[in-house]
This record gives sequence, C-alpha cells and structure tokens, in this order.
Amino acid sequence: MENDFFEQRTDMSRLSQAVDQIKATLAKIIVGQHDSIDLLVAGILADGHILIEGVPGVAKTLTAKLIAKAIDAQYSRIQFTPDLMPSDILGTSVFNPKLTEFEFKQGPIFGNIILIDEINRAPAKTQSALFEVMEEKQVTIDGKTYKMQEPFTVLATQNPVEQEGTYRLPEAQLDRFLFKIEIKYPTLEEEIQIITQQHQQKTSDQLSNLSPVLTAAEIIALRQQVKALHVERKLLEFTAKIVHETRSHKSLYLGGSPRASLAMINAAKALAAIKGRDFVTPDDITYVAAPVLRHRVMLTPDKEMEGLTPDDVIAQIIQKIEIPR
Amino acid sequence: MLRLLCIFLLAFSVHTTGKTVAPVKVKKAPLVLKMDTAQVNVRHFDSVALKTYSKQPEFQYQEDDGQSAPSWWTRFWRWFWNWLSDLFKPMKLGNHKYSQFVQVLLYILQYLAIGAGLGALVFLGLKMAGIDMLNIFRRKPMGANLPYQESLENIHDINFDDELERAVAQHNYRLAVRLLYLKCLKQLSDADLIKWQIDKTNSAYINELTNPDQRRVFKTLTLQFEYTWYGEFAIDATVFKNINALFMDFKKGIV
Repeated sequence: MENDFFEQRTDMSRLSQAVDQIKATLAKIIVGQHDSIDLLVAGILADGHILIEGVPGVAKTLTAKLIAKAIDAQYSRIQFTPDLMPSDILGTSVFNPKLTEFEFKQGPIFGNIILIDEINRAPAKTQSALFEVMEEKQVTIDGKTYKMQEPFTVLATQNPVEQEGTYRLPEAQLDRFLFKIEIKYPTLEEEIQIITQQHQQKTSDQLSNLSPVLTAAEIIALRQQVKALHVERKLLEFTAKIVHETRSHKSLYLGGSPRASLAMINAAKALAAIKGRDFVTPDDITYVAAPVLRHRVMLTPDKEMEGLTPDDVIAQIIQKIEIPR
Repeated sequence: MLRLLCIFLLAFSVHTTGKTVAPVKVKKAPLVLKMDTAQVNVRHFDSVALKTYSKQPEFQYQEDDGQSAPSWWTRFWRWFWNWLSDLFKPMKLGNHKYSQFVQVLLYILQYLAIGAGLGALVFLGLKMAGIDMLNIFRRKPMGANLPYQESLENIHDINFDDELERAVAQHNYRLAVRLLYLKCLKQLSDADLIKWQIDKTNSAYINELTNPDQRRVFKTLTLQFEYTWYGEFAIDATVFKNINALFMDFKKGIV
C-alpha cells in the first residue's frame, strides 16, 4: 500500500496472508476466473452463502470444492435431485429399539462448508427445507431446534434455468444467498492453459495434494475483523439508494430487500479487507452491486423478452446515482 | 317370479274391468231465492286525514303538463340521450340511395370513428393525469416509488480557493483534502484528461489517464483522499501540508 501518511488502525496482515494463500491454492487448479475467486473469498469472509451459476463444464463444482478444501472444517456435499426429500437434507428421527425411543439422525446439512451441487434440480418443497438453516443457522425438527456449528456456509452450484430439468429457485431462498457468481466460458488462452494442465496430468496431482490453509476458528476470527471495518455514512446512504432504486425501476418486477442492502455492505467490507483496507470505498460497493443484486431482482416479462439482463438494469441504476465524494 | 306376479295382476284387472255398472239417478233440489237482510253501516273518508295525505309529495300523481320550463339539468340529459341515439343511427349522406353493402360499410365506419374518438379522449385524460400508458396493465413493482435527494455537486461551480482557505482556517483538514481532490478532478477535466461524470468512481478516473506517470501519481493522491474521506483517518496540519504538497506537484504536471 503506497501510503506514507496514515498508519493502519487494524492489523490486516493475517487476513491478507490468508486471502493470498486461498487465492494461490485456487490458482493452482483454476485457470483465470480471478473476479469469481475474489467474490468467493469475499463471500466466505462476509459470512454469506454463495450461489455459483454457469453452463455445464465451467468448473463450478471444482471451484466450490477447492474453496471447501482450503478450509479445515467439516465439509459435506449434497447432490440435489428431483426426488430429494427435505428429510434427506435435514435429517430424521429414527426409532432405536435398544433404547425404545426415537433419536434424531443428522442430515448432511450439519457441517461447516456445505456444497449443494445442482441446487436447482430439486423442486420447491425440497428447497424450502433450506430456508431456516440458511438464514437462522438452525434446524427445527419435531419441535426441537438444532443449532449449526460456526462457520456455516452453503456453496451451491446451478445451471441456468433455461437448461433441461431445472427449476427456478424460490425468491425467498435466492434472497438468502449473498452472491450469485456467474462463471463464464474461459478465453482462448485460458482454455489452452486448461488443456495443457490436464494433458500434463498436473490437475489431478495438485488436487490430491491440496492442504487446508485456514481453520474454522481462523475463519470465525477473520469474519469478526471484517464486520468491524469502517464504512462512512455517505456510503451507507449510497448503498441504500442503489437498493431503493431497484424497487421502483420500471424494468424490474421485484426489487432488492433490506437484506440486500445489508448484504451489499457486508460484501463491500469483505472486498475492502481483501484489498488490504480497513474502510470501504464506492469502488467496493459498485463492484459487489451486481453479484449481490442480480439474483434478488426480477425483470418484467417484456424486458426479459427484450433480452435485458439484471446486470444491465443494475448498471443503469448505478449510472444515475452520484458517487459520494 | 316378478313376471308371474305381473301376469296375475294383469289377469285380475282384466277380470274386474269386464263388469258392467248400473247408472245412478240424481235427485234435483228446488231453486229458492235467498235475500240478504244484514244491516249496512256506511263509512265515510276522514276528510282531515285525506287533506294531510294529499299534501304529501308521494301522493302528487298529477303529471307535468309541460307548461313549466324543465331545469337545465333535465335539458342537458335530454340533449345527451338524443345526441347519443343520433350518434348510433345509421349515417345518411344526402338523399342518395346506397346499396346495402355501402350502408353496412358506413355503419362500421361510424362505429370505428366513435371508438377512435373515445380512445383519443381516454388517451388525453391519462396523459394529462401523468399515467404511463405502457405500465397501465402491468403489475406494479413491489417497491414504492419514493424520491430521494441527491447532492449533485458540480465541481465546475465550486470556488476551490475560497473553500479551501475556509476549511484550513477552521482546521477541518478532512474537508480540505476532499476539496483538494475535487479541484484536482476539475483540473484533469479542464485539461480533457478525464471526463467528469457523477457516476464514475475514483478508479474509473485513474483508468482514464493514459500517461503512466500521471496515473501513478494520481493513484497515490486518490489513496490519500480515500484514507482521509472514506476511511476518516485523523489528519493534522503537518499531514495536510504534505498531502497539499503532493497535490501541488501533480498540478504542475497537468498541461
């Protein structure tokens, strides 16, 4: 940081080191996708759940698996299918003949880093099982509440809804995801590099040799540090204006919720931390605006048919609002 | 079994109907005229009550004889209904006799003209009320359309020297650094090195600079501004003096 006049208020060294280590670990296997990796790390630091969307074969699941592998915590994976039941995720009470009583068998949701692969292959009934656990980090079954262990993060992957055999996720559930990260096709150079790595059989060796760089306790401590970062009042107003504008924009049928405003601030803080700052700038807010809002807003049917995307509308909104300075 | 029962009943009925019945002679009673001898009590209308009822408007059955002039409201509705019935009468153009086809065509044209006229009236009404025609049948967005105020501060309208002097005099160095940065943006904009727009972030302006040296120095200046303004780091006179010197040096490089 080229700054000779101001001394750091917060010790960001451990955070910067951890971020660099995670990025380096991912960069060994994942080619390109620098923005997606930044957002993934920011999502983990901001204590948010992340939805990764992309067409089949762009390494969505691999990226999520790598992030999970970089953290030394209880990892579990749930493959969502059309016949999956809520009890298959949360768990169920089973009769124990020895004790002659029912005992609760925890489902795969009980873990720290949960990878839900192809989340939109399960219908709404199954998705609703995730509502409580994603927001309140607890599960209530048979009148008894079971708390999740911290850190608790859901990394979900999905194909675009236009793909065969997929459902649109309920809005209430989408709102619970901090980011929706869209993974695009790699560039020609990146694709050549992917093929070369695979040809030289580097990828599989590196994947098995990966070791965690952060413990669950460290993640909790870093999250506390990120939460305490400074945000100037004008920037809070700027964030609220962006989200507020989504609610009255003529191209949008559904705007962002107050949860979206909170998510934007938390995400901006995490991004500032990744960049080594202990305060947020307008750049951080505008950078996270699209990943935070794109799955929370809904286009009107006519705008959708015209080919407009939520990202286009979010860009239009930001263009209208003065950057506080 | 059922069939046997039916046959039995049928045979029995045939047997009974076969008998002949002898005619019965009816005796006629003699006609006698009976007189009503009951006493009749004649009742008369209560003239007072009759007067009271006849004064009530509910019992005024007499029609308007047409001598009193109708009110303007009655005349208006009479005219309106006449006009409306005339409007929907088949159109006549002179005393010519047209074929049935032409008459139907004229009739359709007449209705189309009426429809267009009504449509134009509705359109004008909605336009004057400020209602968006495209969104009228669309579901309203969930969020309320609340206006908000924006401080559209134009850097070209600020007297930087005066404002800077005032901020330094008040020891408000945070504001002074902000003014230095805004002044720097104005100088870059005046020199056509950047294009000033309200929605551009500081990094957008950094990326607009094509000269690498200028970009590097401007990046450092931006950092000082961000630490002071967004980071709200404490700043004293000495630090401000150093930052001011950096800005002065940068100004010299702007052609």
